[in-house]
Formats: sequence, structure tokens, C-alpha cells
Amino acid sequence: MNRRGLLLLTPAIVLLVVVFAAPVALMFPTSLRPYIPGQGIGEGWTAENYVKLVTDPFVLRVGARTIGLGFTVTLVTLVAGYPLAYVIARTRSRARPWLVVLVVFPLLLNLVVRSFGWIALLANRGLVNETLLALGVIDAPIRLMFNFTGLLVGLTHIFLPFMILVLAAAIHNIPAELEEASGTLGANRAVTFLTVTLPLSLPGILGGSILVFVLTISALVTPRLLGGPTYQVMSTMIYDQFVQLLDWPGGSAMAMALTAIVLLMIGFSSLLAARYRVRG
Amino acid sequence: MSVARVTGRLYLALLLAFLLAPVVVVVLASLSTTSYLTVPPKGLTLRWFGEVLRNPEFLDAIATSLVLAAAATAGSLVLGTAAAYALVRRAVPGAAGVSAFLMAPLVFPGVVIGVALLQFYTQVGIAGSFAGLAAAHVVITVPYVVRAVMASLAGVDGSIEEAARVLGASPLTAFFTVTLPLVRPGLVSGGLFSFIISFDNVPVSIFLLNVRQTTLPVKIFTMVEYGVDPSVAAVSTLLIIATGLGLVLAERWTGFHKFV
Repeated sequence: MNRRGLLLLTPAIVLLVVVFAAPVALMFPTSLRPYIPGQGIGEGWTAENYVKLVTDPFVLRVGARTIGLGFTVTLVTLVAGYPLAYVIARTRSRARPWLVVLVVFPLLLNLVVRSFGWIALLANRGLVNETLLALGVIDAPIRLMFNFTGLLVGLTHIFLPFMILVLAAAIHNIPAELEEASGTLGANRAVTFLTVTLPLSLPGILGGSILVFVLTISALVTPRLLGGPTYQVMSTMIYDQFVQLLDWPGGSAMAMALTAIVLLMIGFSSLLAARYRVRG
Repeated sequence: MSVARVTGRLYLALLLAFLLAPVVVVVLASLSTTSYLTVPPKGLTLRWFGEVLRNPEFLDAIATSLVLAAAATAGSLVLGTAAAYALVRRAVPGAAGVSAFLMAPLVFPGVVIGVALLQFYTQVGIAGSFAGLAAAHVVITVPYVVRAVMASLAGVDGSIEEAARVLGASPLTAFFTVTLPLVRPGLVSGGLFSFIISFDNVPVSIFLLNVRQTTLPVKIFTMVEYGVDPSVAAVSTLLIIATGLGLVLAERWTGFHKFV
């Protein structure tokens, strides 16, 4: 046992237990309390908040929408981000640092500001609709916000840089000589990509995908601003339960469900990564 | 140029345009003379920037955000560096589990941390306190410091510190005069990320603020929820300029693209 090492770790661990782990765990008993409208948390124990999660059609629809968004955003960022990640990982151009800066800049820029920018672009009288109207492509504004399209665009924008950076790191770790060898042995660039680069970058693809999926289904700000109060996802529903309806038991049950999904995905990816390492 | 090359260039240009489009739009909207939001701007004025800088609500929110981010960064640097040092240099039992626990807030839904702390702080009677808010921000920023300092420490030869000890330095002196200066890149990038993450946070802050105190992103968030005007675009533009300047300076000083 190393006493000094433990001493150095203690403050951080205590803080995370008191201000993170314990409060999250304490939501579980709350989620088993009945909700009394107008009063809040009632006495006694009940499973009704969890029953509601799997029977209420509205909640089920919001849950399915959240998961659907998670998968779609993950797929779009993966496909759109891979080529740029490849360029960043492999280019010897002097422009590389600035390419990285251009990708990182939106990542560091405030989420609310970026979502606000998308409102200005996607609203009924936003830049996209006005441009299409002026060009005569459409006769009336098309709905780009308060629906799946708006959330998909906004969330893809937010999480694309995450995906690109994870993929670029993974591709960077593949020795370029392997691709050169494949070329020397007669494979064309497409075959080299499909049989060498792509399989070797699988850990990055897995890591980036899990990260983007988990962050997408947890996102609050962008879905709220681009979806409004009516087009809900799980996070915005939890927000409303706590802030608008003051239904803490119901909100706690939803928070537990969201946490369970996130932890399951992370556990699943660790298992996959472990298998990959054993085989690889 | 071949077709493939042109397609490649076009794809790069489109992707970068997509990444930067909302930023450009916000800046343009802040310059309009109209009292409603419109892009491209009708006429050009800096009037909205004046309104922001004269509005005490915005100034208070900016001050709160800066103090909060500074407090969270200071706390995270102290707790995170101590923890990272213990994890890399001391044989602590269960180091892998401990570091996974310290990293957990990175992937944990912010909204869940927010509502959990809202309930917990209400129960123990510190709801709406600045200390509670700052503690929550240390929780969400400490993983960045732990990760950056651990990476820096792994690249520093431990025998340098042992040499200092052999030459008679106390463990503390050896740490502060030898190890700490060597891990400065980790401290800088961890601290920078902590500051930005704290300054930008909405999902945790929004549940923990009291009625009289708000942070800048939460203020913008609530304003955007109830309709927008060019002053929101102006304050957003100020944030864009600050972020851009910070990024260029960070790249010049630390060359952070090397860490990516």
C-alpha cells in the first residue's frame, strides 16, 4: 500500500463521490416515490414511474426518437468525417495545423452560440429558406426546425469535430508504410483502403461512434433550441419534468433510464474493444 | 487536376463551410440595423455591441461566468494534478478503476448530473449557492486535467525526480521544482480545457443557479428560447471573437495541434 499515493488521490475521489456519484445514486429512491401533482414527492413506494417509461406512448416515442437520432448522427458524422480525418492524419502540407484549428474552433465555440446560428439558418424566415425562395426552388418555406431534420443538422454539426479528432488519431497510429507496402504489392488505392486502412482504423471507428452516440442522446441545449418545447428528446423531457412540471420522481426515473442506456453502451464498447485487442 | 482531386477539394470545402456556417451567420446577424434578427444584415451598425456592453445583465452574467470558470479551473488543477501524479507515479491499488471513475463525468449525461445535484443540494439546503455550483464545475472539468497531466507525466522520466531526491531535495521540493515544470504542457492544456468547458456549460449550471445569478451561456440560452434579437447575436459574436483569439494564441504558444 502506498499511503502518500492514496493521500494525493483522496480529495478528487471524495469530491466525485459527494458531488457526483452519491447524488446520482440518490435519484434512484426518488424515482420509486409517487408524484402528487401540485405537491411534488409523495410518501410510500411505487414502480409507476418506471411502468410509465415503457407504457406511455409519448414517452416511448421520445425514447425511440432519441435513440434514432443517436444512431443517425453517429452514422452521418462517421461517413462525412472519415475523409477529413484521413487528410488530417496523413497530409504533410503546411496547412495541417490550420486545418486542425478549423475543426477544433467550432468544437470550442459555445454550444448555445452554435445552436443559435443554426436557428438563424434554418428558421422559416432563415437564410436557407430565404435563399431557396429567392431562387424559386420552393414556393413556401420548408420546415427545417422543430423536427428531426433540425436536430440532425444541429447535432451533426456539434459532434462532427469529436468524430474527426478521434478518427484522425486512430488513422495517425497506422504506419503509413503498411499502405505503401499494399500499393507496392499491386493493390490499387481503393483495395488498399478497404483491406488495410479501414480495418486497422476500426478501434477509432468504434471509439468515435460510441462517443458521438452517447453525447448525442445526452445533449440538452441543441435539441431544446432547435426542437423547441414540443419536439422533445429524453434530455429535454427530463429538463421539463424537473423545471416545468416539478415531477421529480418521474424525471428521476427518466434520468435513471438515460444513465442506464449510456452505461450499457460504454460497457458494450469496452467488451468489443477487449475482444478486438485479444484477436488483434 | 484529376476528377478525384477536384471531388476531394470540393468535399473539404463543403465540410469546412458546414462547420463554419453558423458562426458566420451569427456574426453577420449582429451587424444588422434592424431590431429583429435577419441574415444577410440590412445595413451595417455596431449599435448592438454598445447595447450589450451597457447592459448590466449581460455584464453580470459575463463576470459570473469568468469567476466560476476561474474557480473551477483552479480547483481542477489542484485536485486533478495530485490525482494524476498518484496514478502515474505511485503504485496505488486499483489505479485503473480509479482513473475510470475520475473520467466518468466526461461521458455522463450533463442533464443527469444537473438534476441529481439540484435534488441533492435542495435536500442538504445549499440550493442556488455559488460554492455548490463551483464544486459541480470541478467535477465536470477535473477529467480534462487528469487526462492531460497523466499524458504529460508519462512522457517525463521518473528518474529525474529520484535524482533530485538523492541530491537531498524533500519530496515536495522535488515535485515543485522538477516534476511540475516538466509537465507544464499538460497543465496548460488541461487548464485551458477546464476553463472553456466550465465557461460554456449549460446542462449542469441551468439547474443550480439562483434567481439573481446567471452565467452567460445560460442567459443566452433562456433569451434564445423566448425569441431572439440582434443583441443576442452581438454578445455571441463577442464570444466567437474571444474563442478565436484564445485558440490562435494557444496554437502559437503550445502548438496544440501536435496533441491532436
